[in-house]
Amino acid sequence: MAQHDVEISITKTGEVKVHIEGAKGKACLEYAKWLTKVIGKVKDQQMTREYYEPETKARINLQQNLKVEDDST
Amino acid sequence: MSTVLILAPVIVSSWPAIAVAVTGAASALGFAVHKTAQEALAGVEQEQGTQTVEIDLAESQVLAQSLATNQQIVLTKGSIRLVVERDARGRCKVCATGKGHGKAELKQAAEEFTQKLTQCFVYNKVMKELKSKSFQVVNEEVTQDESIRIHVRRWVD
Repeated sequence: MAQHDVEISITKTGEVKVHIEGAKGKACLEYAKWLTKVIGKVKDQQMTREYYEPETKARINLQQNLKVEDDST
Repeated sequence: MSTVLILAPVIVSSWPAIAVAVTGAASALGFAVHKTAQEALAGVEQEQGTQTVEIDLAESQVLAQSLATNQQIVLTKGSIRLVVERDARGRCKVCATGKGHGKAELKQAAEEFTQKLTQCFVYNKVMKELKSKSFQVVNEEVTQDESIRIHVRRWVD
């Protein structure tokens, strides 16, 4: 199971900062879309490195492939 | 890390939900809430030297179908009176009045209240939505700069 964390900071002036962690790719975008709909308008959005990482399953496969290649050399 | 979003809140809701946020903001800022405008305004006449300042929450909409007659909430703190109501365009409006207070002071009071109202409204709405999506609250705190920080988590297959 994947752990999805969301940190929401509502400032004194009402501005909202949302930090979505653990969700990658499409799942991350879905959270962003949902929270935007709930709260209001997007002022800024930054995609961090994890967003561009493949889904967990694909990453494990990649790691396994790399391990096989290492073993064969 | 994954994604960081900065959002500007938009208050679109029925009057009861806004009224809950108004009450929360009033409590946080030390204002007394009056059930009816008549109760707060009874016996009060516009005296000389009483200033009035109005502030609209630009990004707000009080849904018309929820509008009943005389929907307004009156708050008082010392000699400052705030009236929160829906204006003709459907926006939420805060009107500050007070004898012996300058316009700048009243504007500051109204702005401080609208900011707190926005914070309370967003908090109530976000918590309701997060619970509906089965998020569990890991941590919740009010920081030194008066921000509300919520950390929630859920497990996904």
